[in-house]
Amino acid sequence: MKKALTLALALTLGTAAAQSAFVWPAAWTAEQNTANKRGGELRLSAISDFKTMNPFTSAEADSIPDRMETGAGLFTQDPRNDEFIPYMAAGAPVVSNNNKRFVVKIRQGMKFSDGQAITADDWVSTWRIHTDDKVGSNSYDTFFLVGKPITVKKIDNYTLQFDFPQPSASALSLMSYTPWPDHVFGKAYREGGADAIKKMWGLGTAPSQIVSPGMWVVESYRAGERTVFKKNPNWGDWNKDSRGQELPYLSNMSVRIVADANASLAAFLAGQIDTVGMRNADDLAQTKKAIDSGSLKAFLKANVSPQATSQWITFNWNKAGDPAKQKLFRDVRFRRAMSHIANRQAMVQLALGGLGSETYFSVYPIFKNQIDAGLAAGAPQYKYDLAQASKLLAQIGYTKKNAQGYLVDKSGKVLEFTLSTNAGNTVREQLGRIFADEAKKVGVKVNFTPIDFNTLVGQLTAKGENRPFDAILLGLSGGSNIWSFGSNVVPCGTNLHSYNNPTDGKCATSQEQLMTKLYYQGDSELNDAKRRAIGSQLMKAEGELQPVIYLVGGNYHVAFNERLGGEFTANMMDAYYGHRLQALTFIK
Amino acid sequence: MIPFLLRRLVQSIPTLFLASLLIFFVIQLAPGDFLTPAKLNPNISPEALAALERNFGLDRHPIEQYLLWMKNMIFNLDLGLSFSYQQPVLDVIKPRIANSMYLVLLSTILFYAIAIPIGVFGAVRQNSLGDKTINVILYFLLGFPSFFLALIVIYFILQIRAGTGLDIPINGMTSNGFDSMNAGQKMLDIAKHILIPAIILAVSDAAGLTRVIRGQMLEVMRSDYIRTARAKGVSERTAIWKHTFRNAILPIVAGIGGLLPGAVAGAGFIEVVFAYPGITPMILDAVNSQDLYLIAGFTVITTVLLVIGNALSDILLAVVDPRIKVG
Repeated sequence: MKKALTLALALTLGTAAAQSAFVWPAAWTAEQNTANKRGGELRLSAISDFKTMNPFTSAEADSIPDRMETGAGLFTQDPRNDEFIPYMAAGAPVVSNNNKRFVVKIRQGMKFSDGQAITADDWVSTWRIHTDDKVGSNSYDTFFLVGKPITVKKIDNYTLQFDFPQPSASALSLMSYTPWPDHVFGKAYREGGADAIKKMWGLGTAPSQIVSPGMWVVESYRAGERTVFKKNPNWGDWNKDSRGQELPYLSNMSVRIVADANASLAAFLAGQIDTVGMRNADDLAQTKKAIDSGSLKAFLKANVSPQATSQWITFNWNKAGDPAKQKLFRDVRFRRAMSHIANRQAMVQLALGGLGSETYFSVYPIFKNQIDAGLAAGAPQYKYDLAQASKLLAQIGYTKKNAQGYLVDKSGKVLEFTLSTNAGNTVREQLGRIFADEAKKVGVKVNFTPIDFNTLVGQLTAKGENRPFDAILLGLSGGSNIWSFGSNVVPCGTNLHSYNNPTDGKCATSQEQLMTKLYYQGDSELNDAKRRAIGSQLMKAEGELQPVIYLVGGNYHVAFNERLGGEFTANMMDAYYGHRLQALTFIK
Repeated sequence: MIPFLLRRLVQSIPTLFLASLLIFFVIQLAPGDFLTPAKLNPNISPEALAALERNFGLDRHPIEQYLLWMKNMIFNLDLGLSFSYQQPVLDVIKPRIANSMYLVLLSTILFYAIAIPIGVFGAVRQNSLGDKTINVILYFLLGFPSFFLALIVIYFILQIRAGTGLDIPINGMTSNGFDSMNAGQKMLDIAKHILIPAIILAVSDAAGLTRVIRGQMLEVMRSDYIRTARAKGVSERTAIWKHTFRNAILPIVAGIGGLLPGAVAGAGFIEVVFAYPGITPMILDAVNSQDLYLIAGFTVITTVLLVIGNALSDILLAVVDPRIKVG
């Protein structure tokens, strides 16, 4: 009887333990770890040195805290269908108050790397510190919606309540920030405020003092050389593979600091690191050569997906000092003509070595679902067509050409403008030259001048009625597949609304007003299909207005050493999700 | 001696003041600031940028920023906070300077170990085949920028590695698993990594000093007192090393003042080529990101060391050359 009871008890405890774990779906990898390979080190590289271990002051893209954040967050996106699934959350949130209140139960039994339990306090303290502007956190903005704060409250040790100032499509994503330990940061913050937080976890801090909620924790740091991470021993308690084994399989991850991208490619070719970003055809060719010659055993696939970036030309609508140009830049026919002039195919071939994608919208082509919906709804693309460009320019009044072959207006003034980009960016310099060459064919004089990056950004983000540029060729990156429009780009008055940025921040056209309205409408729509439909309308308005001429974006290529296993299936790999999840990666 | 040092100290104040002024405002003259790239990030709002500007003190007038910086430096010995590291400048550069010093010290030792014997040899066997051969080789190396020489060496090392499988390190300062080594292994590992860059540095610079020593030696050897010494029957070895070399060494001693800031300033592009975690790659990074206080703080340190180093070499000169008096 006693035995049976023990068995029953053990079974219940077993199921309770199983329930408290997150099971990583077998479908998230093409190659499962069936041979039970454990241990080993994933070897990566980074081009610039790490700056801090402090998650609240870190500003780099690829920082130490970023790497420790792997495998921490209330929800996570399924790479197969972009859907959010509960991760550190025990289940789906209870939504109330017109989609503005989210109550979430936290999975029990999760621990930080130092053995302390992860509870609601950790989320609340993390939120409080990020939103103190004296701390200077890079995540500050993610806790605000249209300038109004999101609040986080503890209901009990394992229940959190999030209150949003308005409904947001990105709510689950915004809630999925990493909870840093309250017993470390919360304590310091209560005792010493923002200044105490800023002093914590510098590069001189002993790794033994670093505490992580995620998969990795720092093991050693050597300035300018390499950082080694070891697996968080408590993470496997609540992260299991589909057969119930603890994750990650790896025991270490090292990040070597190399001088530049060429050096990291060299290290990859020499078999010293396991994966590296392929920048261009040259990188691909070198890798292919190494594989063919047998000196490198690696997986290589080109053109896996477009990158999540864009390159574009924007025209300055605020040129009070030059009314003729202002009128020209504000004329939609002129901008459509400019889009017809952009020979995107040549740009992909010449500037990107054939490894790129044409873009027509602010939505990156990688966010295919939104692009397809927009095209289906009739969002226009003004493709390369010089005859059409000439026709549009003639409509504005440019019918005559001078002796040099440039179009002139009635007073004999040449149709010309200055196009700047940042000097030293060879791809942008080539894009600009191709554009200028094509423009010359229809009689538009483009004075293409690469200038200093900082000066350029100063010009682009200048506010006022008379901003200091004609046209700028630049690029943007960053954004998500939930609502793929830029919060600082689309609405009037925001700082990257680059074409029209007067002192009062008002829209100049009805399409801009419509786009601003649609932007906020889509941002607050929780239903994926409805939001995508709003996005289609936004793409249509944007396409018709052509405020910014989108050109091309590079493609994403995958290369990794064959000693790694556990990668995605081919159709899951893309620039957004990468080629693998570290949790399921193993060394063969 | 003490009045000399005091006078030096007083003299150095306007020097350092002017240097700091130049450093600070030349950096300020460049367009943009540390936060400029962040302005292109669609995910950072203008409010957050303004908050950061306030936090970093970038919203203040440059003169106000300079005065604050000066005040902290003089009264608290605080060189300011690096923007990108959010750490005191000294804490950021200390480990890098230490790394650079290993490399620079080894290459300095090698530099003298190569330059002095060759220079003396050149003077003693003037215009012999050996002298001419060494001259040609050294001039050839002098013409090469050291980083280019390093690239060529790396190419050959890679060929050797591919051919023989010999594991010669070509970048970094330590191997994988460095932290689990014992003290002896650690020293050996670092030595293995810095030997080749140190040799390249030493060899590519040796030509200059070799020429100076050779010229000085020749001049001294022709002087009357050496002839007298020889006539008195001192051995050739004593004539060369004790009588000639000691008098020919003055320019080397005068140059020692540069060693101190040199040791701190790092080995330049060699560090970049060998991905060595010294000071140069970090300063380049800082210049790129306009990390104001990091650049300014580091430059102030090297200027101070230059002043101290010059005082030191004046004192050393007085020790070597009794004709020079300090005071």
